[in-house]
Amino acid sequence: MLDIEAIRADFPILDRVLPNGKNLVYFDNAATSQKPKCVINAMSKFYENYNSNAHRANHTLADEASSALEDARMKISNFFGANPENMIYTSGATEAINLVSYGWAKYNLEKGDVIVITEMEHHADIVPWQELSKEKGVEVRYVPINNETFTLDMEAFEIALEGAALVCVTHTSNVLGIRNPIEKIIKMSKKVGSKVLIDCAQGAPHEKIDFLNLGADFLAISAHKMAGPTGIGCLLTSTERIEEMGPFMTGGSMIKKVTTDGSTYKEGNAMFETGTPRIAEAIGWGAAVNWLEQFNMEDIHSHIHQIAAFAGNEMQKIPGIKIFGDPSNKDSSGAVSFLHETIQSQDLALLLDEGGYAVRTGHHCAQPLMDALGVPSTNRASFWIYNTQEEVEGFIEHLKYICERFS
Amino acid sequence: MSPLWPSHLDDIVEEFRDCFDSMERYELLFEYAKKNPNPLHETEWNEGNQILGCQSRAHVVCSKDDEGLFILRAGADAQIVQGLMSITAIAVNGLSPEEVCKLTPVYVEEMGLKSALSPNRANGFLNMFNRVIAEAKILSET
Repeated sequence: MLDIEAIRADFPILDRVLPNGKNLVYFDNAATSQKPKCVINAMSKFYENYNSNAHRANHTLADEASSALEDARMKISNFFGANPENMIYTSGATEAINLVSYGWAKYNLEKGDVIVITEMEHHADIVPWQELSKEKGVEVRYVPINNETFTLDMEAFEIALEGAALVCVTHTSNVLGIRNPIEKIIKMSKKVGSKVLIDCAQGAPHEKIDFLNLGADFLAISAHKMAGPTGIGCLLTSTERIEEMGPFMTGGSMIKKVTTDGSTYKEGNAMFETGTPRIAEAIGWGAAVNWLEQFNMEDIHSHIHQIAAFAGNEMQKIPGIKIFGDPSNKDSSGAVSFLHETIQSQDLALLLDEGGYAVRTGHHCAQPLMDALGVPSTNRASFWIYNTQEEVEGFIEHLKYICERFS
Repeated sequence: MSPLWPSHLDDIVEEFRDCFDSMERYELLFEYAKKNPNPLHETEWNEGNQILGCQSRAHVVCSKDDEGLFILRAGADAQIVQGLMSITAIAVNGLSPEEVCKLTPVYVEEMGLKSALSPNRANGFLNMFNRVIAEAKILSET
């Protein structure tokens, strides 16, 4: 059992009072989670005590910074069931997916090769493949969703798989909260000889991601949705795939030798980490992983699911509210997308904000999914470890009040 | 014209100031959304008159009447933006384009709707307001 009050005490921002005098109720966790004190302190400690560039100098501070960067890599890769040499620091899941596109697919796919993606992907897992298609002539196939169940059409997926070279699927939809059957997707993809990329940006805050057990070729992860800082994430990939990759971004750190005649590059993950590393962010992410490790991820998911299922159930009782997704499904994340039939989503978000409730509004960087759902945008309440049943009850009351007064 | 807003807006600003709380204020704004003196109907919305940087759909068309006085026609799918544009239309219609150029959105702040003015908010009223001023500048030169 989680001690939610003790958990909340780790997050100073949850005591925030907004300019209108309302207490903050933060339900925008699928966009970014809040950060516990230990993460904030770890980053401050770095800047206060041993700020220095990593892997570049021979002084004490540089040694401490380099060690901290690599210690964090060790912690984070272990957390995800991977070896540190199979982890490449990126700015987040978006850069991780771009790294697969420009660092692997560009070097290994040819004109006519097939990339299978889905309608429920975040733009970060759509646009890089569209760009690659323009550049290399690869074919991009989109697997539709079933509009009644909001799940992937697995029959269509099976058909799309024919001749696939790469399958790119989100672990969990950032809009619908639906968790895809990624184990099955990986198995089916491997059976036809395709490589697999799983976008774990939404999945990692909700369940234990185990790279080696999953058997995907690439996992893209963001730190900031799982208590870590913004600006950092990683790509987890196998040694075999790393050996097939070529440079994506070039510059300092990733080179062996640079002459006026040309350059040679380091091997392994070092080839893909150019420029000054995100040292403070890596340290912060390491602290976030340490913090998360005190809990069982299944307990975290169970708590979030309970709240999301309650929220979805109560919201459905409010006249005019329509839910997109299935919050009652035990595998769903804490994201509950909804719309009111007459109150426009931006208006609804502002009115919720007046009550202190922070929810996301818009297309959620998933416009093809919005098209499939037949709506331009949704409101989305997304819950995480520190949210409480009482907060949701207050939210439901405020939502009811808005719907009665403004529709 | 007063230094802050046209005097014929005084009663509206006062009406909003008298609201009990922000929700009552927004309720009043929803009512003004239905009172746009020169609405721009959805059939007239196009890319040319669309306000960029606004997540909700918002459009404005500015022109001059036979006497050279300003006419603002606006439409938005979000009622909060629509309400603010209705009030802005009440403010600017009948002024000279030169007078419109001098207008600032301070009346929105005075109405207790300061949050609508944040450029970081996705509701886009400020983008619409800036477009009106930019068009007034063009109309004042023609």
